[in-house]
Amino acid sequence: MKKYTLYPGCVMQTEQYGYELSIREVFPVLGVELVDVENFSCCGEPVKSINQLLTLYLSARNLAIAEQQGFDLFVPCSVCHFALSECKNILDNDGGMRSRVNEMLASEDLEYKGKVGVVHTVDLLYDHVGVKEIKKHVKKPLKGLKIASHYGCHLVRPSEIGRPVDSENPMKIEAVLEALGAETMDYAEKLDCCGGLLLVNLPESALTKTGQKLQAVEEHGFDGLVTVCPWCQRMFDSRQKKAGETVAAKLEVPVFYLTQLLGLAFGLDERKLGLDLNLSPVDKLKV
Amino acid sequence: MDRIGVFVCHCGVNIAATVDVDEVVDFAGKLDGVVVSKSYKYMCSDNGANLIKESIKKFKLDGVVVASCSPQMHEHTFRRVVEEAGLNPFVLEIANIREQCSWVHPDRKEATEKAKLLVKGAVAKVRLLEPLVREKVKVTPKALVVGGGIAGIQASLDLSEKGFHVYLVEKEPSIGGRMAQLDKTFPTLDCASCILTPKMMDVKNHPNIELFAYSEVVSVDGSIGNYRVKVVRKPRYVDFDKCTGCGDCVNVCRMKGKVPDEFNMNLGKRGAVYIPFPQAIPLKATIDPEQCLFLRYGKCGRSPACQDVCEAEAIDFTQKEELVEFEVGVIVVATGYDLLDPSALYEYGYSRYKDVITTLELERLISSSGPTGGEIVCPSDQRKPGSVTFVLCVGSRDETVCTWCCRVGCMTALKQAYLLREHLGDDVEINICYTDIRSFGKRYEEFYRRIRGVKTNFFRGRPSEVKEKKDGLTIDVFDTMTNKLFEIKTDLVVLVPAVVPRNDSSDLGKILHVSRGADGFFLEAHPKLKPMDTFTDGIFIAGCCQGPKDIQDSVAQASGAASRAANILSKEELEAEPLIAFVDEDFCSGCATCVSVCSFNAIELMKKEDNKYVARVVEALCKGCGSCVAACPSGAMQQKGFKDDQILAVVDVLGGEA
Repeated sequence: MKKYTLYPGCVMQTEQYGYELSIREVFPVLGVELVDVENFSCCGEPVKSINQLLTLYLSARNLAIAEQQGFDLFVPCSVCHFALSECKNILDNDGGMRSRVNEMLASEDLEYKGKVGVVHTVDLLYDHVGVKEIKKHVKKPLKGLKIASHYGCHLVRPSEIGRPVDSENPMKIEAVLEALGAETMDYAEKLDCCGGLLLVNLPESALTKTGQKLQAVEEHGFDGLVTVCPWCQRMFDSRQKKAGETVAAKLEVPVFYLTQLLGLAFGLDERKLGLDLNLSPVDKLKV
Repeated sequence: MDRIGVFVCHCGVNIAATVDVDEVVDFAGKLDGVVVSKSYKYMCSDNGANLIKESIKKFKLDGVVVASCSPQMHEHTFRRVVEEAGLNPFVLEIANIREQCSWVHPDRKEATEKAKLLVKGAVAKVRLLEPLVREKVKVTPKALVVGGGIAGIQASLDLSEKGFHVYLVEKEPSIGGRMAQLDKTFPTLDCASCILTPKMMDVKNHPNIELFAYSEVVSVDGSIGNYRVKVVRKPRYVDFDKCTGCGDCVNVCRMKGKVPDEFNMNLGKRGAVYIPFPQAIPLKATIDPEQCLFLRYGKCGRSPACQDVCEAEAIDFTQKEELVEFEVGVIVVATGYDLLDPSALYEYGYSRYKDVITTLELERLISSSGPTGGEIVCPSDQRKPGSVTFVLCVGSRDETVCTWCCRVGCMTALKQAYLLREHLGDDVEINICYTDIRSFGKRYEEFYRRIRGVKTNFFRGRPSEVKEKKDGLTIDVFDTMTNKLFEIKTDLVVLVPAVVPRNDSSDLGKILHVSRGADGFFLEAHPKLKPMDTFTDGIFIAGCCQGPKDIQDSVAQASGAASRAANILSKEELEAEPLIAFVDEDFCSGCATCVSVCSFNAIELMKKEDNKYVARVVEALCKGCGSCVAACPSGAMQQKGFKDDQILAVVDVLGGEA
């Protein structure tokens, strides 16, 4: 068993339970042990527009705590992953900022040393576990299902701080889906935004983005959509009905977390994967 | 040398602002062997030169140190000054206290100390310098021009007109290069082939030009005045003398219409035997060995159709590669450019959508001799586009791809917009997404104004993505003039890709010993004052192999390079730099280490009377790079002007040991 410290983030713990449930079910099957740690705080991303130093401090604090464990840090939320990666990039390249942040961390006897790696669901599956290993555990292949992938913006950009996938033509989710036996297809709207970050200020614009992308997924003849970010899932799954009303369309796109589909292909119990918590019509998809 | 003069230059404030020149002069005056030490505001000026000359005579100097800029700049100036004063030009040493001192150090005190050390080192070296003699070498009054595009053609014509024999080597079956692929040229809208083909004919007919088409330069040895060149003539499998260029074989080839046609940017198809375009020079058929059924499988129907139809009996499947050797005095490199493969920018969809093309592809679609006979159609379904959108700066001016400007993209798009309007009338909508319109050349801005007037939509912004939707392609672009996001629906997207070095320029650079810049283009010896010279004497560059440029600039540079080259060819003999390697035979064991490191084949092993071997430097070939000197295990190999004891004297000073 290879060990990773799990950084759950806030969205997964407060509303997107399906992601956490499926993660905790699927990764042990793949030989990945998840270690829980107390005392993590917010990743800092939500306060970045107000106080960048605070964001940096909060991210660094989490990295420093994870460093004490000695394992890489697994961050399933793309927004948290972005914040922690950006912080790591700044502290690894700017010695001045690193000592400043470490002075702030010293009150808790913490220090960021730059030794911890930060991984996301996608690179944990594709780069660390590998497609070959995933294939070994497939019991119910997703034969005949054409699945659209949604990477979400925080996972793909900006490449300067190091993102798990290519910024223009990411293909790692497709590779995992194909390992599960599903069919994939490149589609023009693949990199379109879920609308999530606009939801507070411009809800109508946000839901229009969500609705347009879901419409496109339907038009391309996909059987379902997978996401790897709780913010994106919240838009495509939880707010699908509302998005449909905004673009005047009746939307019926089953939306899954990638880990939920992995669980289904591994033959795991649907309830243990939190599928009953998805609000989109996931029952449409018969595995 | 024990009567040395030290001359310290202020270089205006370039040196004097950071280095205390007076302190350096005082310091130098007290050094061993120095009899006079002076400074002047601009040592390279006439007054400065006179100061040096008068001092040499007055103090009977036998060695000179000039503390100034890099020897790259003025070493030759001061050598001449010293020579005019009656000394050997090689008893001069430059202490570089500008590029290696005042320009790079902010602290005046430290910079002054360093300048003093550099001067002290130079004085230590001058004490040990010896007078050297420049050997004379004969010049072969012939030129090699590599590349038969417009730049190579112009350089060849200029050199041949001056009476020199020119070998013009072109990789492709025909000369003409990129310009032959163009329909019209900006800003005059001249028909490209109408102005190019007369020049191509001149190349063919000029008695002084020997054309090697479908050939490649494989090796170049020697040095300025005497380069030995090896060229491989690839087999055309068609007898060059017998072929009349009638094209009968092209029409009957069993592969006709099956092979992507590179001249038409793969939009059309050719056969295995082909003539790239009607005005090709030389107008001879070529058989593509990768595609010819007979050459690949030994069988083509009952007998090869081309052979059956050729009345001149020119088809010859037994042809082999031919190696040709000749000597030239100078080389002009004019190998041109490639366009960036836009697949590198995945978001623009070039690798995904058929109706996303490049400007050069559109050029072939517009051309009446192109794959569609001049019909402008979408490649996916052959329908006339109702809307065409140009995307400028694809990869250009982009830190992640090519940092530079392609210098022709804006004008190409403007020209093509004009031609589209002319061919398709008012029915077609034309959009141009630009970063800045750079219409910098003579009459370019006026041309831009003209296009602004022909109902063209300009969006100032780089599109984020090209997507295929049900009803055609869509482009998202944020227009920074109106601060609005536009979604453009269009039928045909024309990308204007960056201009990049030829994919084989690295190999050719090695063959010619010509260096390349960080961008991969061949590097000029000075960006302003020697734009056609390279760091290798006798080798010149012209056209886009040196950097992106338009036709007029390429032609101007080619004529310039030809003129620079003629300066050398018009002399009967040249003076060779004497700063080359030599062997102290007493120490040489004949191990041949030097032979293996020499990139210029300038060292031979010689058998002595006692049957032992020693190395010998071929003086005409040695470039004085010093590789053999560094590699020699016994110290037998030395370099004039840089002998071990001369260099070590400087090292001792700089290391604080003397």
